[in-house]
Amino acid sequence: MASVSEKRLESSSTGAFTIHYFATASQYTSKNTERLPAPLPLSELYPLLEERYPGIREKVLGSCGVSLESEYVDIQEDAHKVIQVGDEVAIIPPVSSG
Amino acid sequence: MTTEASSIPAHLDPSTYPRIHHDATHNIHLTLTYSPLDANTYLAQTSSPTAGANTLFLGTTRDTFEGRSVSQLSYTTYPPLVLKTLTAIAEDAVKKHQLKGVSIAHRLGVVPIGEASIAIAVSSGHRAASWRAGEEILEACKERAEIWKREEFVDGGMEWRANADRDAEGNLVKKDGS
Repeated sequence: MASVSEKRLESSSTGAFTIHYFATASQYTSKNTERLPAPLPLSELYPLLEERYPGIREKVLGSCGVSLESEYVDIQEDAHKVIQVGDEVAIIPPVSSG
Repeated sequence: MTTEASSIPAHLDPSTYPRIHHDATHNIHLTLTYSPLDANTYLAQTSSPTAGANTLFLGTTRDTFEGRSVSQLSYTTYPPLVLKTLTAIAEDAVKKHQLKGVSIAHRLGVVPIGEASIAIAVSSGHRAASWRAGEEILEACKERAEIWKREEFVDGGMEWRANADRDAEGNLVKKDGS
């Protein structure tokens, strides 16, 4: 297990997962990507993002999908899943190709 | 510490493109690129001596949105998801319409007004299948492909677009029937 001091090092590769933001989500967070502490139950993802970016849940996340390791997950039905150290998460807003 | 905020993730770094996927079994070609799209390339990819019909769709960037002048638009994508989505769309079309080949290409980064942002080439034994499949593939891409368009306006401001807000004729979609 990671020591307390290691857990504090959010930017190190230890004890963190990567989250990518796109379109309206990147606009709201002013970030394309960042690292957040792992492991993290999927059920705690939106509360964590709301804490970091107040208002994001209602204004952005409500219309977004979420992928975990390149597979879509349902934030409610898959709430028991846990985001592991090194995992890649993406917030997927409504798309606009073409 | 190095600044994580300033480092660009690989999927936003043009030097990691083009990303190309080719499925020889179904003759499916997928291209994500920051370079201009070359229609002849995609027609050549889907050409076949068994095909009697070859259709090409080019979606080009428009200079207005609801009367506002667009100065510049750009696209981003997330390859781990979009390549899976495009593969599924192409495979479905090949099976449903017995296509001889499908090529889907999308341009990323800034696309100058009037240039192609998406190219879809389809070949089939006879014309009906190509026409129908081409439209179905385009509509599926618009609905599902993990690609995002950002429009910057001449009068200032910028907006991320959402295809679900518009139908194939550009009309506003009513979200709720009530």
